[in-house]
Amino acid sequence: MTTLELLAQAVAAGKAKDAKALTQRALDEAIAPTEIVDRTLVPAMTEVGDKFKRSEIFVPEMLIAARAMKEAMELIDPRLAAAGITPKYTAVIGTVQGDLHDIGKNLVATMWRGANFRVIDLGANVPPAKFVAAIQEHRPHLAGLSALLTTTMPAMAETVRAIRANAGVPVKIMIGGAPITQQFCDEIGADGFAPDAGSAVDKARALVESVP
Amino acid sequence: MSVGEVRIRWPDEADAVRLAASAAPGASLADRLARAGRPLNTRCGQRGLCAGCTVELIAGEFRLHDGRVSAAPAAIKACAGDLAPGTPALVAVPPRALVAHRPQVVTTFKVNVSAAHAPIVPVVPGTLDHGLAVDVGTTTVVVALVDLVTGRIVGEQSGFNRQVELGDDVLTRIQRAGDPVQREALRQAVVTRTLGPLVREVGAEAGVAAARIAGAVVAGNTTMLHLLTGTDPSSLGVAPFRPVFTNHRELSAAQLGWDWVGPDTPVHLLPGFSAYVGADLVAGCLCTGLLNDAGPSLLVDIGTNGEILLRHGDRLLATATAAGPAFEGGRLTRGVRAVAGAVAHVAFPPARYPPRLDVIPGAPRVVGLCGSAYVDLLAEGRRTGLLGANGRIDAAGWSAVPAAHRHEDADGRGVCLRARDPATVVTEADIAQLLPAKAAIAAGILTLLRRAGLTPADVGRLYLAGGFGLHLDVPHAIACGLLPGFEPRQIEVVGNTSLGGAWLALVDRTIVPEMAAAAANAEIVELNLEPGFEDTFIDQLTLPPP
Ligand code: B12
Ligand code: FES
Repeated sequence: MTTLELLAQAVAAGKAKDAKALTQRALDEAIAPTEIVDRTLVPAMTEVGDKFKRSEIFVPEMLIAARAMKEAMELIDPRLAAAGITPKYTAVIGTVQGDLHDIGKNLVATMWRGANFRVIDLGANVPPAKFVAAIQEHRPHLAGLSALLTTTMPAMAETVRAIRANAGVPVKIMIGGAPITQQFCDEIGADGFAPDAGSAVDKARALVESVP
Repeated sequence: MSVGEVRIRWPDEADAVRLAASAAPGASLADRLARAGRPLNTRCGQRGLCAGCTVELIAGEFRLHDGRVSAAPAAIKACAGDLAPGTPALVAVPPRALVAHRPQVVTTFKVNVSAAHAPIVPVVPGTLDHGLAVDVGTTTVVVALVDLVTGRIVGEQSGFNRQVELGDDVLTRIQRAGDPVQREALRQAVVTRTLGPLVREVGAEAGVAAARIAGAVVAGNTTMLHLLTGTDPSSLGVAPFRPVFTNHRELSAAQLGWDWVGPDTPVHLLPGFSAYVGADLVAGCLCTGLLNDAGPSLLVDIGTNGEILLRHGDRLLATATAAGPAFEGGRLTRGVRAVAGAVAHVAFPPARYPPRLDVIPGAPRVVGLCGSAYVDLLAEGRRTGLLGANGRIDAAGWSAVPAAHRHEDADGRGVCLRARDPATVVTEADIAQLLPAKAAIAAGILTLLRRAGLTPADVGRLYLAGGFGLHLDVPHAIACGLLPGFEPRQIEVVGNTSLGGAWLALVDRTIVPEMAAAAANAEIVELNLEPGFEDTFIDQLTLPPP
């Protein structure tokens, strides 16, 4: 098997150490970073997402695969940046103010990276003004907001309002997190909702591609 | 008085009585009194850590083990030395220093320390001589009626916290309580519709009129104590999660709207640590004896909100991991609390089917499964190959399930533990709810230990408290990864220690100050801010190999 095939396997099986070592080996073999991403990591994560959608795997396996993918990307990201290569679409993502849960948000971020988005992660407990400033700075196509607490859902509504009023960028807003529903999404005027990281990828693609 | 005569004034005797001379060298005054047949309340095992053995030196001298001398009048810890030989002395032993309650297993909890009999409220035998120990949980409320003359529990009642109708987890209730009208509705739900009926029932059953209730002690998580007092809990709901109060409070029944007892009846709310490590855990750290342990000890309380406390040397580290209601039966297909008719244990014999079920007696039929049964199922399911590491029933596992025990619905596969009995169904979706709950607790324990530079093997004792009462099967809790890397000999199941601590504080007034000192001393660990928590949580999401 080639290094890239082994890497795809390691990511799908969630073997983080192997994924890191194999990524290094691929780079040492002078395989282009873009090729590692496009031909290996993106298909591997797409496969993980598809299996999740078919209920063949659950959240735990997805988290483990994402961790392996992250190890690989940590080696590749600096090289892509140095070569001035940026993916076609950019997203910012963060957990809203008052909420420190970030495991689900991190998973969505990794799946988006796996779908070849450039993702700027603002972390957790992010005030509305910080979302606005980041959107003005990076001019992303997509903004992802996460909330895991019933009590921080109002902060999510507040953040959507602030982005619409102050960012001055036509960004699509996606929301998610355990207590979030499509109904809440409609109420606060966000553009899309996804219940899990698998559908978060499809929804994100659909939203950014809907913009001419 | 002859040379060197020592006399003791006991609370229940008119005249001071003579104490025999010390026989054993190095013995403490507490030892001598114990040998004379009147043991003191040496709660901490004579380590100088509690105040249980404090007596009054009225005349004479007391020589501490380290050679220092205290002269009368003084309050002395009887475990810390002995009376100076050859010097006459008079010592008064107050009632609170006498041991009246030995460590014991009570209905739903275990008390590992001794206690004096010195109720926290004034008692008038025959007219005002009973007390209430109350545990207000998010899901379950328990009231114990205590005879304050003997200290014994004469009745116990538990029921759902009626606030559940207004939101089944604390956050939903906090969210609602931001509005004063809803806050009052929540207060009434627990006071008028939950506690009132429970107190009436427990009194009726024991034949004790409400007028005889002299006072109450309440333990509970911080949110529950806010809602009980009508305090706005909004600041508990968003980072940085600040409580309005966590201190010990003494209120009157009238202030709390408890109209089923006299308006002046004192009600004590126990102190807590923080927003999510509440008075329930403080109560537990007293009643398990953890504060007096030498080695590293853990207290793990598995309720809707898993709370963990680590004692290591002089340090007390506390944290909360959001387990959710799964282990209390919440959001599971057939999940119930540990009530009559609940399956409490599941084991697969060599022939596998039908599995052996232990049902809590007292109901005509099986009503569902309680937390301990789910723990068994995770461990036994994995051992017998029904479940894979990811908690799913794979093709091989499925083929081994006889038709009468199979269950299939939109959520996937499942098993009927009893052939064709829908009350015994466990589905893959249930397992998927249990795994993050288990992982959150396991990762919380490991993260707290790591923070103190410890591993599970270093821990002397792990007290496991929680809604499962005393039912939990320890080897299964270890096998399913709920208590990762521990061995059965380290673990002691202690039941509802929140109620245990409330009872202890009710019968022995020296307990509350110790609770307050423990609460002031603890370091609160925020797991979100701990590097490594996320990784550990992800690692713990699977079932360990059998
Ligand atoms: C792990 C956990 C924690 C960890 C968080 C660690 C961390 N760094 O994130 C710790 C222990 C620190 C914690 C703390 C608390 N927690 Co907590 N926590 C959980 C738990 C067990 C799992 C959450 C998780 O990570 N799941 C795995 C991920 C992958 O799933 P996910 O987050 O749902 O994300 C998926 C989707 O929602 C979606 N998604 C998520 N974000 C986004 C964003 C976008 C844009 C999109 C499209 C999709 C999307 O995709 C993700 C992947 O599939 C849940 C219970 C549960 N079973 O869900 C409680 C839970 C969320 N916590 C809860 C609570 C109450 C708390 C606390 C406030 C109190 C406490 N200690 O108990 C604290 C304080 C939190 C804080 N400081 O902000 C409650 C919330 C109740 C409510 N009604 O709001 C829950 C539901 C438990 C419960 N039932 O009581 N918690
Ligand atoms: S027994 Fe003396 S201080 Fe505890």
